Order: sequence, then structure tokens, then C-alpha cells
Amino acid sequence: MKHILTLHDRIRHHFKKGGRLHSIEPLFDAIDHFAFTPATCTHTGAHIRDAIDIKRVMITVIYALIPCFLFGTWNAGYQYNMAHGIPDATFVDHILRGIIIVMPVIIVSYAVGGFWEVLFACVRRHPINEGLLVSGFLFPLILPPTIPLWQVAVGITFGIVIGKEIFGGTGMNVVNPALLSRAFLFFAYAKSMTGNVWIASHGDQIVDAVTGATPLGILSALPAGTTTADAIASGQIDFMQMFLGVIPGSIGETSTLACLIGAAVLLITGVASWRIMLSCVIGLLATASLVNIFGSSPMAQLPPYYHLVAGGFAFGAVFMATDPVSSAATNIGKWIYGFLIGFLVIIVRVVNAGFPEGVMLSILFMNLMAPLIDNVVVEHHIRRRRKRA
Amino acid sequence: MTLHISLKQMGRDCGMEFKITKGFDVALEGKPSDTITDLPSCKTVALYPLEFTGVRQRLLVEEGDQVTHGQALLENKTATAFKLRAPAGGTITEIRRGERRFVDRILIDVDDGAEAERFDRYTPEAIQKADRQAILDQLVRTGYLSFIRKRPFSHRADPEVRPKSIFVNAMNTAPYEPDAERVVADDPQAFQAGLDLLTRLTDGAVNLCIGDNAGDTLTTAERVAVSRFTGPHPAGNTSVHIAHVDPMKPTDVVWTVKAVDLVLLGRLFLDGTLPTSRIISVAGPGVRPDARHYYRLRLGGDLTPLLKTALEPGTMRLVNGNVLSGEAIPQDSFLKLHQSALTVLEEDGERHFLGWTMPGLDQMSFSRLFASSWLRPNRRWKLGTNTHGEERAMVLTGYYDRVVPLNIMVDYLVRAVLAGDTDEAIALGILETDPEDFALCDVICPSKVDVQNIIRDGLRQIEEEGI
Repeated sequence: MKHILTLHDRIRHHFKKGGRLHSIEPLFDAIDHFAFTPATCTHTGAHIRDAIDIKRVMITVIYALIPCFLFGTWNAGYQYNMAHGIPDATFVDHILRGIIIVMPVIIVSYAVGGFWEVLFACVRRHPINEGLLVSGFLFPLILPPTIPLWQVAVGITFGIVIGKEIFGGTGMNVVNPALLSRAFLFFAYAKSMTGNVWIASHGDQIVDAVTGATPLGILSALPAGTTTADAIASGQIDFMQMFLGVIPGSIGETSTLACLIGAAVLLITGVASWRIMLSCVIGLLATASLVNIFGSSPMAQLPPYYHLVAGGFAFGAVFMATDPVSSAATNIGKWIYGFLIGFLVIIVRVVNAGFPEGVMLSILFMNLMAPLIDNVVVEHHIRRRRKRA
Repeated sequence: MTLHISLKQMGRDCGMEFKITKGFDVALEGKPSDTITDLPSCKTVALYPLEFTGVRQRLLVEEGDQVTHGQALLENKTATAFKLRAPAGGTITEIRRGERRFVDRILIDVDDGAEAERFDRYTPEAIQKADRQAILDQLVRTGYLSFIRKRPFSHRADPEVRPKSIFVNAMNTAPYEPDAERVVADDPQAFQAGLDLLTRLTDGAVNLCIGDNAGDTLTTAERVAVSRFTGPHPAGNTSVHIAHVDPMKPTDVVWTVKAVDLVLLGRLFLDGTLPTSRIISVAGPGVRPDARHYYRLRLGGDLTPLLKTALEPGTMRLVNGNVLSGEAIPQDSFLKLHQSALTVLEEDGERHFLGWTMPGLDQMSFSRLFASSWLRPNRRWKLGTNTHGEERAMVLTGYYDRVVPLNIMVDYLVRAVLAGDTDEAIALGILETDPEDFALCDVICPSKVDVQNIIRDGLRQIEEEGI
């Protein structure tokens, strides 16, 4: 370790002002500070500082995502093997197949996203932000396993550049970059993001019996005469399967269980807001109960708790809605923000026939609304202060 | 209104209790023990004129002049009654000028036989009936008015204004300020005299705010309203006391004073001469364990002999005051008039391998992201000056609010100041605060933002613009 440190110290001057490689100083700093915490001492303000830094915060989110990633890798392989009629494939086969499907997506996301981050950091001379570690990992996990790699590259480029860097980088963005990337692909290349895209396959080798539709897809396209209750009774929609996530879907978001493990990590370490997660769930259950009473479409008839495990809700509520930069910042604002996400998810799922899934759009929409909510809360706070005076 | 008054009355009679829940006690190693050591008298003393902010200096002496103890060395050009006086009699050996030619240090070679300037002397009973103007005149004349600060802005009190109330801070939760009980118990008569003269300066209450470990001297103080605060830092900050006992409105002026300074004010009026010494705490991980206690030191006295024996080896940072909001001072310092504590910690440039993912059993954190937060909750930490990370954009929200027990939305206050929106900052309550209230935000911030400085800049800007 000492050798690495000495090596860094020996070549550091090349990257300082006047050095030959000054233009890529942020890159050197990022690598240097990745290996060792910086040696800086306090100059102003409090003389002592907490050991926490943004690197540690971001890496904790990555750790929280690992259950989703591992399960998603297995599931992608499993779904592939099932679809190709290889029922005697072992656990290891599923994992290996999953790695072949998932890893390229993650590598492309990090490589392309990293390129833009480093480029902007070097040109604008700001440090390379750790936010990319999270965005570059979140994005692949919300893509279908069949996504073409060039679309991954285009998507993350849009998310990082238009979603984040033009606002000034991590901390200044209005919406969640990973979600924006996905929304971009969803609207620009709809064919890759909808329909039977949820199982990785090689051309037409798919076994006929497998449709590859997600539970929400099944519901939104129920044949006439069949009710939601029939679909549940026939096992087409199975709560336990949806909870565990052994269903077709985006790479990392099928398993509610894996999301719950991630949520536990985020809440125990205090990195994500419990207020947002809880209010998302309350908003979803409350609205679903209402449409359950008044609605008559198959989606409206789905028992409310099924919505918790359906689609990307769990993943969205745990990892996307809680992004502190794009969510509401005030405590009361967080309650309102989360509740409305849950509310909108149900509204999109039930009312809009075009989109069986509404989590992505609900969160993006509420990202845009978050500053407004906060503004109202702050104004209210100021009015109360004035009244006291 | 009636309810308000009766509550206030009750508070005065039986003492109010306030439990503060938000906050964080930084468990810094090096708590001072209770002993007081008398240091041998110094050969040289210093006066630091820049301690007295807002003074337009006019120098009244030259190098080589003989001065008496308490003789005026400088006066304020804009209000000439306000003088800065010699902490000891002797010969002026150095007048050092710093930035923009301001006098930043005057050294005096002490002559113990030198005469002392006489001021008005009071008996303890006379102070209770003393004339407000006479007290103020003496405070202004001696420069000791600077021990009394006013809110908003925490400047020297303005003698022309009658404060709504006066808050005496007799508890301090920041590491490490002297324990008020320990210091005032050394001279209870002067402390009570100090409280009595404060009661003459306001028509409202003199609020004595004490902690849960306050001893007899504090709890039996007379003619004041005693409030007791418990909880983690910043439960001992004056802003917290004001907000809980008697919240300020935008037009209010409140005066504040530290209990440990009040002893000096009391002595001045009881003796009729400037006090010669004060008790300071010397603490922190940079001080040798056997040297971490209280010292009685001549005012303006040379710290070097003490530092020579008391410090641990290594490069140390000396802090005037506590490690959260004190100022770093050079190694060849003398005791400042307003200094009640010296905290020492190591200049720590150590780099930790893969700091972003190591379990961190040896790292102090308010967050729950390190193994130490779970496995070593009661440990005292040998902290240095390392920032443990680089500055980043502010990412986590609502994090600061966990350590600020005031009705303040810290994130939004900080943003308002950064955006230069002073109206918004005032509306969000910046005038009820002091930079020190945000010291813990500096400490716990994952983005390594200096919140104290931001608030200080905001207050300065508001003052320049005028409210």
C-alpha cells in the first residue's frame, strides 16, 4: 500500500498546474482519492470532521443494490434457460447465463457514463463525482435484459449529459439521471422497452408456451370475459412469485424481496429517507384500495397489496424515489412527495391503457414537482415564523 | 400574554427545565480534570486589539513607553470613551502591525511593582443598587463591555440600547470549554456581583442557563431566572437557550455573556482595578493526559512555558476555545482577554486506504455508516484536523436538521445565503442564530461544506445591507 502511495506522490506533479497532464487532473485525483482518503486538513469552520464522505454514502447505495443485482443476474439466466427449454439447467448455469446477459449492460453503462463524467470533470475542472457510481449501476438494473448495448450507451449518455451535467453535475440535477435515461429509451426506442422484451433470447428459439409477459402486461391484456380473480386463481398472477421475483421483467427490479433487503441496508445506515419509502407505500395502498372499490377494469380489481410487488414499484420506492438530490428536501415535503408517487403509480396503471407500468413516469413527474412542494412547505414555515413575531 | 408572563414568573421562581434531543456530543479525547494549577507569573503579557471587533484603532502609546496596569493603550476613534487597556504594568516592547496596518499585538514587559489604574469600586450591596449608566460607563471605559455581546450578530453590546433580556451561559457542551461551575466556584462572590450588575442593565430578566451537572454556586445564584438544559451539544449554546426561554422577535435585542467571563466583570467592580488573572481549561487529545486540567494564568500571559511542557509530541493545532467553533492560534501565543479555553489537537494528514469501504472501527462518525457507530458507541476519539474527504455538492437533505435544535430549516437557510437572498435568510430566522450553532453541521456534513462560514458570511452581508 505504501508503494502505491509513494507512486502517487511521485507522479502527482505531472497533474498539477504546469504539469504535462494537468488537463486530466480530476481523473488522477479521483484514482488517488479512491485508493486513499485525501490528506487535507481543516482550514476554516470546525476543526474536526466526521469520517463520512460522499464516497461512503454512494458506495452504501451500491451495496444496497447488490441483492437486486445478484438476483437479477440469476433471474435473467433462469428466464433464458426456461424460455429455451433447458429445464435441467442448474443454479450455476443460470448464474453463468445471467452474467453473460447482464454484465455487458453494466460494463457499457459504467464505461460510457464514466467517459462523460470524466470528460465534463476535466473540461469544467470539478472533481469527478461519485454520483455516477450509483446512476451507472441503477440504470442497467431497470432495463430489460434484451436491451441492445448501443441503446444502453445512448441512454446513459442522455441521462448523464442532459439529465445531470448540463445542470452542473451531481447535486444540481432536477431529475434522477438513471430514470431519465430509461425514460429516454422508453420513448425513443419503444420497441426495445415494451412488449415481449423481458426474456433474453436468441432469435426465435423461444419455446412457444412462454410469452415473456410481465404480470402487469398480462393484466392489461386480459382476454374479454376473464376477470382479475380468474387470472389469480389460474396462477397467471402469483403473489409469491412476484414477491420473490421469479418472473420476467427488468434486470434488477423483479424481486421485491431483494429490494426489501436493499431497503433495510439503506434505512439501517440512514442513507435513504424512511419518510419517502413509507409514504410511497401508503400512497399506493390508499389509492389502490380506492380504485378497488370504485373501479371495474382488471387492473382496478387487482387487490391493493399485489401492487406492492408488481412491476418496478418496490425498486422505484426504495432506490429511485429516495434519491436525495431529486426528491423533496423538507420533511413534510417528503411525505407529500412519496404519497403522490404511490398515488400516481396506481393512476397510471389503472387509468392509462397505454402504459401498464407507471413507476418510472410517476417518479420523474414527482421529481419535477419536488421543488414546488418544498417551496410550499418553506413558505408555510416562514408564514408561521412571522405569525409568532 | 398573561399566560406568557405567568410562565416567565414561574420560571424565575422555581427554575425551568428544557430537554434538548437533537444534537450530537463529539466524544473527543482529552477532557480536562477538575484541578486548578497556578502558573508562575509571566514576564511578558500581550494585548490583541483585533479581539475587539468593530474598533477603529487610535494608538495612544509608543514602543518603549512605561504604562501602568490598566492604562489605555488604544481607543476607538468613532467612540473615544471605549479604551483597550494594558493587562499589566510595565514597558511596551513591541507594537506589531498586521494586515492593513492594524495593530494586532502589543507586548508589555511586566513590572510587578507598577501602579494600577483605579476605577470605581463597589461593595456587593452597592452593585445591586448601582446606576445603570455608571455601570455602562465603567464597562465602556475599561473595554470590558466587549465581554457582553448582543444578538443579533453577536457583536459587542451597544450601551445605547436597552436589551429585552440578558442570557448568561453557564453551561457549555462543546469540547472543550471550561466547566462553568468549576470556574465560578473559585470566586463565587465575583460571579454573584457580575450577575447583580447585569440585572441593573436590563428591565427584563437575567436568565442564567445551567446544565444538568451544575453545582451549588450556579444553582443558588440569586436575583436571576435559572433555566436548566439537558441534552447533547448544542444544548449549551446561547441561541438554543434564547429560543427556548424567551424567543426573539426580529426587532428584539438580547445581550449575552458567558458565566466564566462574568467573574472578571464582577472582580472589576468589586476591586476597582482590572483583574490580573483568569482560569482557563487546557484540554484535547494534543495535550498530555497529566496536563489536561484548569490553569490560573495572568491575563494576556505568555502561553509558551505551559505549551512547552503540556503538549504531546507532533505537529499540533492550538485552538482558542473549543474545536467546533474556536479559532486556530499560532504556537507563540499569549492568552487573549476573551479566551477561556485552549484545546489542542493533532494536524492529521494521514491517508486511509480505501476509506470509502473499510469497516471503519477506528473512525468517528455521527452517521451509522461505520462499524464504530455500532460497536464502539461510547468510545472517546483521538481526533485530528483531517477532513476525511473532499468537498462535494450538498447531496443529503435534512441531515443538518438533526443537529440543530432550533426552529430553523438549515438546508434552506444555507441555500438562501449562498444565493445571496438576504430577505429569505432573515425570513428563515438567520438573525436568531450565531455561526457556532452550525458548527456540528460542519462536522457531520458528508459533502464537507463549511456551514458556519456560510452563515457568518450571510450575517455579515445582512449587516452591511442593513435590516
